[in-house]
Amino acid sequence: MIRQLQKNPSNLKNIDRLIHEPTRLMIMTQLYVVESADFLFLQHQLQMTPGNLSSHLSKLEEAGYVEVVKEFIERKPHTALKLTKKGRCAFKEYQQNLKQVFSDL
Amino acid sequence: MKEPSLKEIEKKTYMSYHQDGLIDIFVGVYILLFGSGILLKSVTDFTTWFVIPAIFPAIMVPIWISAKKQITMPRIGYVKFRSGGANKLTVIFIGLLVAGLGVFMAFTFASTTQAWASALRDLMVSYSMIIIGIGAATISSLFAYTMGLKRLYAYGLLTLVLFLTGHFITIPFEYLLLTIGLAIIINGFVLLMQFIRKYPLTQDDKTIAKKSL
Repeated sequence: MIRQLQKNPSNLKNIDRLIHEPTRLMIMTQLYVVESADFLFLQHQLQMTPGNLSSHLSKLEEAGYVEVVKEFIERKPHTALKLTKKGRCAFKEYQQNLKQVFSDL
Repeated sequence: MKEPSLKEIEKKTYMSYHQDGLIDIFVGVYILLFGSGILLKSVTDFTTWFVIPAIFPAIMVPIWISAKKQITMPRIGYVKFRSGGANKLTVIFIGLLVAGLGVFMAFTFASTTQAWASALRDLMVSYSMIIIGIGAATISSLFAYTMGLKRLYAYGLLTLVLFLTGHFITIPFEYLLLTIGLAIIINGFVLLMQFIRKYPLTQDDKTIAKKSL
């Protein structure tokens, strides 16, 4: 297995390390399957503490993968989180790269 | 990491947002009202009974949204689903409706001129309970499969069993509707109680919900 990876290490190099971190992968996956979700929903769905979720979301936001959307629901301001176009592409690419790594093994 | 696993996550998310039982309560009330309307028609001379289930969605949808905001959102937060799934469901539903209407109209037209169609109509009337039961179970299963809400399979099965029983021991249609509606409402309330117990409103949730809203 290691030999195979050594033979073609480029596929592993293509893996986005920002997404590859398990907690961030969970956040990205959850946001990928919906249009948007708020902080509380993500926290419950992923069983995470507010501090942990917040720090990972900040990293994803810095990378331009997640955007904070301020919207109005029945005239009340609401903060939603959603994947950007860049984030969706990055997740799709990560998925393909990971598939490639495993198919090479 | 295959596409089906993402679909599973999407379904799981959908299920978790509808585990509060509110949708069951409202669907149950709708069926109950429909049954009550027919019952009212058979007991009194209330001929415009169909108005009740017709205007119900207009009244109840805002109440359902408000209940979702008051009960569900402060506990598990808010999620907006991608329109893909809903669109697929709408297309299936409208397709079935149009196909059903087309078959019905063609059949009605044929039954006035063709003897076989007239005989088939009489046969369908005689077995209407079985046909309705199978139809309701099919639609319910279709929604269960598309939405990932497994309890809809149980509702479909209940409808099928009740309508089959109704056919063989001659139970009036409206009583069957009242029973199904009541069963769905009771299950909805059980789910709601479980949901409230599972997600009690903590001070943290209130703070986060306030920040989000």
